[in-house]
Amino acid sequence: MPDARVQSAIAHWAPRFVSNGVPLTDFEEVTAAIEHWEDWCSAWCRRAAVHEELGRKALGEGFGLSAGEHLTRAAVCYHFAKFVYVLDYEQMKAAHARAVECRHLALPHLRPPGERVLIPYERKQLAGILRKPLGVTRPPVVVLCMGLDSTKEEMDTNESVFLVRGMATLTFDGPGQGEGEYDFAIRGDYEAPVKAVVDYIESRDDLDAARVGVWGLSLGGYYAPRAAAFEKRIKACIALSGPYDFGDLWDTLPELTRETFRVRSKRDTPEAARKHAASLSLKGVAGRITCPLLVITGKLDRIVPWQDTERLAREAKGPAEFLLIEDGNHVVNNRIYRYRTQSADWIVRRLGPPTT
Amino acid sequence: MDLAVGKKDPRVESAISHWAPRFVINGVPLTDFQEVTAAVDRWEDWCSAWSARAAIHEVLGNKALAEGLKRSAGEHYTRAAVCYHFGKFLFVNDMEQLRRAHLKSVECRNKALPLLDPPGERVAIPYEGKQLYGNFRKPIGVTRAPVVVMCMGLDSAKEEMDDYENRFLRRGLATLAFDGPGQGEAEYDFGICPEYERPVKAVVDYLETRSDIDPGRIGVWGVSLGGYYAPRAASFEKRLKACVALSGAYERSSSFEGRPVINVEAFRVRSKSNNLEEAGKVSARMTLRGVARNITCPIYIVAGTRDRLTSPEQARKLAAEVSGSCVLDVIEGGNHVVNNLWYRYRDQTADWMAVQLGAPRC
Repeated sequence: MPDARVQSAIAHWAPRFVSNGVPLTDFEEVTAAIEHWEDWCSAWCRRAAVHEELGRKALGEGFGLSAGEHLTRAAVCYHFAKFVYVLDYEQMKAAHARAVECRHLALPHLRPPGERVLIPYERKQLAGILRKPLGVTRPPVVVLCMGLDSTKEEMDTNESVFLVRGMATLTFDGPGQGEGEYDFAIRGDYEAPVKAVVDYIESRDDLDAARVGVWGLSLGGYYAPRAAAFEKRIKACIALSGPYDFGDLWDTLPELTRETFRVRSKRDTPEAARKHAASLSLKGVAGRITCPLLVITGKLDRIVPWQDTERLAREAKGPAEFLLIEDGNHVVNNRIYRYRTQSADWIVRRLGPPTT
Repeated sequence: MDLAVGKKDPRVESAISHWAPRFVINGVPLTDFQEVTAAVDRWEDWCSAWSARAAIHEVLGNKALAEGLKRSAGEHYTRAAVCYHFGKFLFVNDMEQLRRAHLKSVECRNKALPLLDPPGERVAIPYEGKQLYGNFRKPIGVTRAPVVVMCMGLDSAKEEMDDYENRFLRRGLATLAFDGPGQGEAEYDFGICPEYERPVKAVVDYLETRSDIDPGRIGVWGVSLGGYYAPRAASFEKRLKACVALSGAYERSSSFEGRPVINVEAFRVRSKSNNLEEAGKVSARMTLRGVARNITCPIYIVAGTRDRLTSPEQARKLAAEVSGSCVLDVIEGGNHVVNNLWYRYRDQTADWMAVQLGAPRC
């Protein structure tokens, strides 16, 4: 009998894994073979290596398009190996390095291709992936904010819906996220890293810095509106299943979520982590949001109560829309067809059509 | 059928245990598969349950289209078409219901065609005084592209082909997925035709009438029973320059022993046989023995070691008999059509086909 953490993974994560690029059979086989949570990371790394090998083979044969897909799949499997695997830092770090490398190898072969960008931030750098739609001059940009356990390597399918509609995407690892989790702890005032990202966009003449939108999922569904409240260069915001006040939720969160938050907040004790969680809040902040806002969640979300997202939509001062999906779970991964293309269409209208 | 409360019909159990990978990679959202199959206890409810789910996607498509959101509409309609398709794909026990779901499937994919990227068009191919229907798509930015003719199997239809088509299209190849005799729209007028070189000849004749593709570079591809049809056609039709065969038979017998009962019934109905004896006679005509040696074009053969419908031995026999160059890829752990390990052959065969038909490597 697999342990409780593995059982919980099997029960809740299939739709997310699959809609973000893990082949269904991989999910079924890898999770079925894991008895103990301790084996999670290595089991997924072995499966990821299968895709990495296919990718390197395709690269060697000059089949770039295939290589890009295999390597992206490898990156997603390595990513899920480590995503909440904070119990063994060394293993996590090794898997993470493979995820970053595979996605990086894929970038020039994607359609459209991507480039790795380094965003100056607090005398160091945040890493991001910039992709521009084909045939569009100075496209608008959607900045993608990750959550507690997502990273830029998981975003291929989310980027695609924006790219095919003529918008560039800049997916980045912020403080406490992905490549940003080593140097920087999670911070509640996420407007600071987003300011750095918008500054970076302004430094590029191939992007339209006057048309920047922000998108975030899960904890990023808090970060994105938080940034929009302070950073007025943001012209539209999409928030998926984000908490209103993380401290208020603390006692109801799954243990693995709390532990992941503690580690990525660089706090030594659960008590310190709880205190830090209280700094992630939209109290007195949501009212400063004036750009168009689209808030989306599922009524069956067992991590963030849907009422949190409704409160955000209600308190925002600009035009706000609230999309509550009755049978949706956290981030509505079980019903992506109810919001993924719809929200991309929504933001195209807010940022203006691409110019060809 | 007498069933205890809460107990599933074995046909439904079989569906759940074998079909998830195929449904999902071909476009059914995972949660749809899980929820619809969990709610169906009797096979008799299969078609209506899937049609109800398909209708959700159809409504989303209608809404997007009304708002002028064409790209989104195309995706919703394609998803609707796939769900309606799987509602009817083996539902020969109720031809009324099957036909209703089928019409919706065709209607939804037809609505999607002009909205896809790249778009598609519905084409009618003259055949035996009537017509066969196909979905034809051309890659963006390629003049007179090579074409891949896509042959369906016993239970697949052109409405299920979006994922396969896209892999060819991205590599600069046009696609023509068509319903042949006993398949999809042609299952009403025509029974299964073991001599599949006949409908493929009609398709190639049709392609020669078009000035927007290169009729000198036509390949053929087939899935499941189509994995027999495609090499069968390549044996006779020398205008075909390359062939991909997925999990097809080298030769079938008149016996259906050991096959899943719903597949056998589908074969009987689609071969327009009154009983299994008649169906067996049609089945026995399906052979590549002494035929496959006429295959002189390059061929790529895919099989899975865990295929419970077509033994990989069939693929080995085909590979041993062809006269042209051959790639035989027997995939360890692969099920029928290797849908569980699709990343081991879908892109690979598309890359291979592109090379054979002279499209630039990409």
